[in-house]
Amino acid sequence: MAAISLLNPKAEFARAAHALALNISAAKGIQDVMKTNLGPKGTMKMLVSGAGDIKITKDGNVLLHEMQIQHPTASLIARASTAQDDATGDGTTSTVLLIGELLKQAEIYISEGLHPRIITEGYDLARNKALEVLESMKLPIEINRENLLDIARTSLKTKVHASLADVLTDACVDAVLAIRTGDKPVDLHMIELMQMQHKTATETTLVKGLVLDHGARHPDMPKRVENAYILTCNVSLEYEKTTVNSGFFYKNAEERDKLVAAERDFIDQRVKKIIALKKKVCDGTDKTFVIINQKGIDPLSLDAFAKEGMIALRRAKRRNMERLALACGGSAMNSVDDLTESCLGYAGLVYEHILGEEKYTFVEECKNPLSVTILIKGPNKHTLIQIKDAVRDGLRAINNAIEDKAVIAGAGAFEIKANLELQKYKDSVKGKARLGIQAYAEALLIIPKMLAVNSGYDAQDTIVKLQEEARLSPDAIGLDLSTGEAIKPRDLGILDNYIVKKQILNSCTIIASNLLLVDEIMRAGMSSLKG
Amino acid sequence: MSTREILTLQFGHYSNHVGTHFWNIQELGFDYTGTEKSECNNDVLYREGRNTKGEITYTPRLLISDLRDTLKSLPATGGLPDEDVQEDFEWSAVEKIQEPVAQKNEYLADIDTKPLNEIVSKKYQLEDQINTWTDYLYPRLHSRTINIVKEYQQGSNESFDIFHTGQSLWKQDYGESFSDKIRNYVEECDSMQGFHVNFDCVDGFAGLALGCIEHLTDEYSKSILAHPIIPSYFPDNDPTTDEEKEISTGKDTQRIVNIAFSMSELTQLATLFVPLCTGNKGWRKPGKPIVFDYLNYKPELYYHSASILASALDTLSYKYRLKSNIYTLSDACADMTGYGRKMAAASLRLPFAIPEDQYINEFLEINEKSLYTSITPSCDIAPDKIFQLITIRGIEEYLMKKDERNPKYSNVKEMFELYFQANHFLSATNVTICEKPLQIKPPFPNIFSEKLNRHGFVTNEKNQTKVESCALMAGYHNGNFLSNTIENLKKEVGRIKFAKLHKFSGEGCEAEEFKERLETLAEFQNNYEECLEL
Repeated sequence: MAAISLLNPKAEFARAAHALALNISAAKGIQDVMKTNLGPKGTMKMLVSGAGDIKITKDGNVLLHEMQIQHPTASLIARASTAQDDATGDGTTSTVLLIGELLKQAEIYISEGLHPRIITEGYDLARNKALEVLESMKLPIEINRENLLDIARTSLKTKVHASLADVLTDACVDAVLAIRTGDKPVDLHMIELMQMQHKTATETTLVKGLVLDHGARHPDMPKRVENAYILTCNVSLEYEKTTVNSGFFYKNAEERDKLVAAERDFIDQRVKKIIALKKKVCDGTDKTFVIINQKGIDPLSLDAFAKEGMIALRRAKRRNMERLALACGGSAMNSVDDLTESCLGYAGLVYEHILGEEKYTFVEECKNPLSVTILIKGPNKHTLIQIKDAVRDGLRAINNAIEDKAVIAGAGAFEIKANLELQKYKDSVKGKARLGIQAYAEALLIIPKMLAVNSGYDAQDTIVKLQEEARLSPDAIGLDLSTGEAIKPRDLGILDNYIVKKQILNSCTIIASNLLLVDEIMRAGMSSLKG
Repeated sequence: MSTREILTLQFGHYSNHVGTHFWNIQELGFDYTGTEKSECNNDVLYREGRNTKGEITYTPRLLISDLRDTLKSLPATGGLPDEDVQEDFEWSAVEKIQEPVAQKNEYLADIDTKPLNEIVSKKYQLEDQINTWTDYLYPRLHSRTINIVKEYQQGSNESFDIFHTGQSLWKQDYGESFSDKIRNYVEECDSMQGFHVNFDCVDGFAGLALGCIEHLTDEYSKSILAHPIIPSYFPDNDPTTDEEKEISTGKDTQRIVNIAFSMSELTQLATLFVPLCTGNKGWRKPGKPIVFDYLNYKPELYYHSASILASALDTLSYKYRLKSNIYTLSDACADMTGYGRKMAAASLRLPFAIPEDQYINEFLEINEKSLYTSITPSCDIAPDKIFQLITIRGIEEYLMKKDERNPKYSNVKEMFELYFQANHFLSATNVTICEKPLQIKPPFPNIFSEKLNRHGFVTNEKNQTKVESCALMAGYHNGNFLSNTIENLKKEVGRIKFAKLHKFSGEGCEAEEFKERLETLAEFQNNYEECLEL
């Protein structure tokens, strides 16, 4: 009898072999769900809710979030995969597949009587060796457009349709290159993702400037101006009652009106100062003036600006204030007291676009935009969300490559190579730990196997073909999904992130080892234990 | 003066029940014929928009937060018809995973198929058919309204029941997209009055709502009126075995700590906050259901108890939603929060039922009990030394017997002002009178006593008619008496040893923080102690 049942007779528990079987079956289960989604030829999953909401995706991380995972072991694996996404933005499906496979391979040996501890020791050795192999396969790259395009394309093709992936690849790479200055780390927040439910997904474009999701709220303001000064500010231009004028004490309307007038005057002064600046810099030239305010602007103030032919936008996103300064130059002002021309930014073109009830304002033709916008278009909500998820991952992939200054050949090349090296390495290790290394080497092959299966080829045939080829060739050998033959991924521009592979090796080994070493699972009173 | 807009935010399952009744009352009260003169400016709470087909829409200016699985038959896009364009290229190989289609109950099916006047006159028995608030939601919502918390699920092993879980959720993507939607709404408004925030203060939504309120305070200098709401009943409230009892106590401890944390945060962040519950105690179990004359409701049905709170909220906010009025939410907040007393109590009299053969002044003369009942938990509203804002609806001029020879008052408003002056020593009362009674239309539950006639007045005759409208009265009150409420909460929470709060420490709450929050409450209580009056 388990010790826990002495303490709490109602506790449920599973011991030793049974506990392991539970964990392994859960890992296999979640692997089964996800395996068809791996790679560019993997299938999509369409999730339809009870009320008819649709979500289409093949991104492992998104799927794991959408699916309601109840099994504790499965949700542990799902969390490892989420961590993978947080750290690198890619490789989530691979994580799930690899953990599942590591457990599956271990199961074979354990059923023959091998102690799980020995397997985990072997896994540890194998992991270190695999990391060495990974290090040796690193392809240093120059940061240029072509190399980054390859990286982005490889990542995006596993997430969306091929024709869409090409469009997104260009947009992502150009966006990152635009905001990159020198060797400083790239802040991806400076790439705004704006969604527009309109037209088709392949019309997603990069705007070298900003797109704001609101427009001028005054009918007389121009809809399009050229050659514009941009004033970004965080100053309230809206009349707010600050004095306590209580319903108990002020009963008549005149007294209120007096207070209102005093307050109103305060705001008017601010508006006048901005108009004065506009007159100073614009009068006599062909320049125009646009105000983008983080705080509110009330109708009376808008009216004053409209009379001067200015565009005024209110309630800009806080992050956009920073982006605006980077895109147009100038700086965000917190007061209107010391306005000079040097505070102002510049944009060649500012115009409004209206879609149904949504208004968009484009700020384009900036001189040196250090902040840009990827304008995502799609015919419906779920397409927009899908593209947004994909673009985010694409940007991360590019950024990873820039930070690593290196890439790894894709298309299963690393797994094939690591498998070969591990087989060799195994012979140099004494004792039963080599069985663990053997299992690890087998498990790695799940990635090229699934790539082959998802493209309609036979798993064994492919693996044998690739292994033979890899033994002979000094270069990395991967799988061509369109022919089923061996290729050199580098020549075809199939490149993966180094950091992604590294993270996968590390986290999968740890999680799998932990699960293997579990010898008792118990579930006791909910009130005392967390979860 | 132009429309002074209000943005409403609802967090949590029970608050959404309350919200559903609230929006049902609004939308079923709309007059489409243009003949009736409405006292209330609907644009305060509603916005006009356009869907992708170019059709005009009129939807609540509202953001909702709830867990997945609570929507059932309502699509997350709010249910307004939308243009559905097909993909421009085929997805190769799509695997479809379809959840079972949610069944619509009798009421929802009728909304889709039958004209409104038929539904309004039909009698429904919905009590057994309602599992979630969408099961009786009449309005359709704007596509940005619904925000589902995907990470957590009702009743799963990772539940959303700790203040800090909600707080950290706000700091993630969820909070970012939520605040973006707030900004979208605010940007549309020309001269906003402020925010209504109604939230469940017993679980993770408390932390989420407070995160949001903090954002509102930082970003917008507008009034924030918060209603922390405690559900009328929890499924674990009636334990039978010892084990169930233990679980129940554990959960209850979590709940009261969440309540205390919400309150202490609200003292810093909200402009005015008013806790609400239809149980008399609120903490350490909601307690006995508050008794209203001529109402029979079941506290274990959220559908019932939420309707009471909703009619209270509707009436309380009437004051600053009237077409004719210049009174705003910020005035209400300023009136109620003198001396830093940001917490106020709310009261309700539903229905304001007087015998049909009596005049209102006769009724008031013989009435000895307090006119209203507190719907703020663990709180007895003192009769003296208080500030109160009272709104009375449905007491029309003809109900008042005019004393021609010696007119002490000439209208209903003056009569009530005189009444409150006489009955409340050293108090300031602001009375608002609205002629229109509360319309009772399905799916408002049929919780009224059989002694009421169609208009909600007491009748002696046997009658089977349905109550179609009723007079009611609701108010906000503030005064020294609230000190006891805070004291009570402080004492209950003070008994809890922090070491026992595993789940809280698991979410990163430290003993120091727990102590600090209690101290904040104690400090806040001081505002009520001093005898500064009028």
